[in-house]
Amino acid sequence: MSAQRLQSGGRIDRQQRIEFNWDGRSLRGYAGDSLASALLASNETVLGRSFKYHRPRGIMSAGVEESGAMVTIGRGARRDPNVKATMQELYQGLHASGQNAWPNVRYDVGAVNSLFGRFFAAGFYYKTFMGLPPFEWGSKGTGLWMKYEKIIRKAAGMGAASREPDPDVYDHAHGFCDVLVVGSGPAGLQAALTAAKAGMEVWLVEQDCLLGGDLLNLADEKTEKKRLELIAELEQAGVRMMTRTTAFGLYDNGIAGLLERVTDHLAAAPAHLPRQRFWTLRARHTIVASGAMERGMAFGNNDRPGIMNVAAGRTYLNRYAVRAGQQVVVATNNDSAYDSAADLAAAGAKVCLLDARTRIGSNMLDIAGAANISLHTGSVPLNARGLPAVNGIDVAAAAGDGWAFESRLNCDLLLVSGGWSPVVHLMSHRGVKPVWDAEQACFIAPPIEEPIHVAGSAAGIWNTDACFDSGKSVGARVVKALGGKARARAMPEVGGWANPIRPVYEVRVDGRKTKAIVDPQHDVTADDVRLAHREGFVSVEHLKRYTTLGMATDGGKVGNIIGLALMAEAIGTEIPNVGTTTFRPPYTPVAIGALKGRNVDEHFRPLRRTPMHDWNLQQGATMTMAGLWHRPWYFARSGETINEAYVRETETTRATVGLCDVTSLGKIAIQGPDATELLNRVYTNPFAKLPIGKARYGIMLRDDGMVMDDGTTWRLSETDYFMTTTTAHAAKVMVWLEELLQTRWQDLRVHVTSVSEQWAGSAVAGPKAREVLSACVEDADVMSSDNFPFMGVIETTLKGGIPCRIARISFSGELAYEAYVPSDYAPAMMDLLWPEAQKHDGCLYGLEALGAMRIEKGHVTGAELDGRVSIDDAGLGKMANPDKLFIGKAMRNRPELLREDRPRLVGIKPVDTGQTFNAGSILCASNKVSGLGEGWITAVTHSPAMGHWIGIGFIAGGHQAWEGKTLVAADPVRKGNINVEIISPHMYDPSGEKMYG
Amino acid sequence: MVDRVSALAGHKGSGHQGDPGNTGVILREPPDLVLHQVAAWQDSIDAVGKSLAKLIGAKSVAGPCGSVSGSKGAMLRIEPMKWWLVGVAAPEFDAEQAVTLDLSHSRTRVCVSGDDAAAFLTRHFPLDLREASFPAGSVASSATHHVGVTLWRSEDGYELFIPRGFSLSLWEGFVESAQQFGVEIA
Repeated sequence: MSAQRLQSGGRIDRQQRIEFNWDGRSLRGYAGDSLASALLASNETVLGRSFKYHRPRGIMSAGVEESGAMVTIGRGARRDPNVKATMQELYQGLHASGQNAWPNVRYDVGAVNSLFGRFFAAGFYYKTFMGLPPFEWGSKGTGLWMKYEKIIRKAAGMGAASREPDPDVYDHAHGFCDVLVVGSGPAGLQAALTAAKAGMEVWLVEQDCLLGGDLLNLADEKTEKKRLELIAELEQAGVRMMTRTTAFGLYDNGIAGLLERVTDHLAAAPAHLPRQRFWTLRARHTIVASGAMERGMAFGNNDRPGIMNVAAGRTYLNRYAVRAGQQVVVATNNDSAYDSAADLAAAGAKVCLLDARTRIGSNMLDIAGAANISLHTGSVPLNARGLPAVNGIDVAAAAGDGWAFESRLNCDLLLVSGGWSPVVHLMSHRGVKPVWDAEQACFIAPPIEEPIHVAGSAAGIWNTDACFDSGKSVGARVVKALGGKARARAMPEVGGWANPIRPVYEVRVDGRKTKAIVDPQHDVTADDVRLAHREGFVSVEHLKRYTTLGMATDGGKVGNIIGLALMAEAIGTEIPNVGTTTFRPPYTPVAIGALKGRNVDEHFRPLRRTPMHDWNLQQGATMTMAGLWHRPWYFARSGETINEAYVRETETTRATVGLCDVTSLGKIAIQGPDATELLNRVYTNPFAKLPIGKARYGIMLRDDGMVMDDGTTWRLSETDYFMTTTTAHAAKVMVWLEELLQTRWQDLRVHVTSVSEQWAGSAVAGPKAREVLSACVEDADVMSSDNFPFMGVIETTLKGGIPCRIARISFSGELAYEAYVPSDYAPAMMDLLWPEAQKHDGCLYGLEALGAMRIEKGHVTGAELDGRVSIDDAGLGKMANPDKLFIGKAMRNRPELLREDRPRLVGIKPVDTGQTFNAGSILCASNKVSGLGEGWITAVTHSPAMGHWIGIGFIAGGHQAWEGKTLVAADPVRKGNINVEIISPHMYDPSGEKMYG
Repeated sequence: MVDRVSALAGHKGSGHQGDPGNTGVILREPPDLVLHQVAAWQDSIDAVGKSLAKLIGAKSVAGPCGSVSGSKGAMLRIEPMKWWLVGVAAPEFDAEQAVTLDLSHSRTRVCVSGDDAAAFLTRHFPLDLREASFPAGSVASSATHHVGVTLWRSEDGYELFIPRGFSLSLWEGFVESAQQFGVEIA
């Protein structure tokens, strides 16, 4: 292969030299080059190694279907593997390297695999699961596989991704338009212009860095003039033109996924720009003008460096000014190769054209003749010679229905055209099954009921002028569908070649063994397809999975048609009878980072802060996550561990007073003339007679009788309630109430509104709680025990004029209050409460101490109310009022839920009080430590009140069934087995004297 | 009366960030939001709407997904049966007519203005903000990063009402993504 950069022509800027690094060596190219064109011009022949056999690979195409020049771009954290060199724009300092090779792609030790090719045939990997004969024959299984799997995996593969965190930023964006046009070839440009001129808002997306599609690869000035004129008109018409943007998928309701490569082509990307942008575009109509891809043929060594498709040869010549070879053989079975061959001959190459067809029209003969091309009809390549790059071919000539060896030809470049495949991928994403057109030897997308239209060569229209016309036709059709005015135009006929194509998928001659590659990315050979057939895999889907044909990063763009054809031949049927491949998104690979966008690191999830967040931090809080909330976990003093801190906080709160940020509790305003009725229906216990100024603890069930949530509801007025929920179930309860009101009980005049964010709350708990609050309210009388009994609610004012609502309720089991202020006043409230608490040697406490105190009391939370628990299981059956209706009433009386041996809430303590056990442990009878056991532990803590470790959980039959017995808390993967006893869940102040006191 | 402390207090940042050659987006938090909700019933919605329009000094009532501004404030129709009053407190209503709620502390108000304000918002919201679809006065309930946000196109730009607890987290994300347009934090 002796490629040469031409002195003139092309779309490169010869004034801008660009230095880049290939496999440790510094090379040069020009602005406007792709990495592939620059490597080609530098006569770099071997650019990759194949997946299994480590065969040398060079440039095979000039587009997204590239399967040879797959390289790694960048270094360190920015290492991006499996990039197609054909799609990578060259920039100053670009660092590219070969992959799947050692020490490098030119001299690869792994190439020894080729010698053992017969062992690596189709299904090789699956067969290794069956064991290594003869060592693992019989009942020994596949133990060795675990060992040699690593070797197999190391030997096979493509590039390796960086293991460092991705340092780049990715953007997400939403767009809306009337018409999306995918592809900016002649059909796309014309369709976009037709729609835009009729007043439609049009987005034109193009994966290339330039608009024009195949027009960019033509050398004549007239075509270039037309391209520039069209672009100017599109600009004038206000079309949004997005280059470097791939429409990678079409989805329901006109949604297209677009990937915009914002800075991948820049040597130094500005810090404020994302690397890529992921667009969700909603278009009323979509025009798919995605072009067609040229196929190869399967023949011996058809993957050698120096063999590429014909259109690529023309692209490198006319767009990049690189003549890819001096002695060129062009092999074709259709008309499209002739112009390309003529261009190469005009550029000084010695061109020999093999046409598989025995009869061709005078027009093709004229082209060949005028270009001084040596034309061989009825001829095809049989085998490529030369290593590592092609230096000649064996030519076969038509012999009956098959081929026979004819001669040898020397060449340094072999261009192959086995026909064209319209890019029907996007239509396939919509569930459309393409239809085989035997005349054109390709799949074509049929009409679809959705507002999606196909134009140009994507619709099987081959001639450039006809593609322009199809763009006009489809554009006008879309305009009319959108209610605009446009002159209807006939759609050009499918096809357009003067001479019919002669389908050639594989060239082989009896008695000559060759390795013909069908899918170069996964090294699937023609023999592999036949082997799959012999082993019983006849459907296209099975073929794919058994041979891995079409499963690599190109998704079958290159090999699928040939694979189908070979299978059809093996079965003795036609291609459409074998089946069609369903192409799925993405059309080309999309980085995981682009899918994730900015939702990474600290923004992986939105962080929910309470209005006291900064205040808590200032007091030395260590924070923890509670759902999305950030809550104080504990407030360690100097040198304290978490265990020391929460025990101190618990003891201090029980001894004097503690303050705790409880803002995260769900809070819902229930308002309206029928608010009482709503509450009475959703809670198991009666609310009809709850006086104004009082709160009541309530349990709500789901329809199936299981507990949904618990909380207190405060009556503020005749028609106004303030409901609190658990932190975990706040959103669920809110949604549930809305659903009830909007679907079942539309007659109830009630509005529910989340006020979780409106009110910031602090628990004030402990024997000194009343003193602390009394010192903070403007009117201390409201806090007296007579004025403010247990479960009382007051609306009052804190000092400084802060409006405040307080309820005397207790989660800790102590005399306790929850005080709420409008959120912006939260720091001010804490600045009032905390100095008063300090006067009583009080403390701030976090989630850990809060948990310890509620476990001591046997209070349930989301950890217990996990959806499997009935109200009786939770020990709260008495709260289910038999005299009224409520949601879940009927279903809670199902026999299954009334069984005496259901798991019931219990307390748990270790037999040896010096021991501890974990939440999540399984409770087992001591003589049967296996299976699912008899129950489980939901929460644990050290109990300062009891002086040892305790827990709560559930066990079959509850406390009474296990009283006095020793059980095992089994925790096989962590702590092991601990002997425990079952006790009442009400472990601290069971009579509630402190709470009521 | 003590001062209110915004959820963004001390964390907003300041000045120009991002694209040095452009200021496409201006982010601002108007202070001391006054936001009240008025929720009516099927048979009272018309009368309540009219009384609210009168309260804010407007001649018409805000319809679904719309708003009306008057000399004393604005009314936003945020749900079929609910309005938000911005800048003015809700009047007293008999519960048979409507119920009211002070939500002034429940949301953080963020005003997004500048030539690229709409483009910036498309980075976060799946909303069609083109002029024909979302003219001045429009209101939408939407979401970004799974957080429900109310969007109002006022005379000053696009106003976001973000649940207070999430607002700093979203603000950080906004400032970061707005840098591609050049952002001024006012």
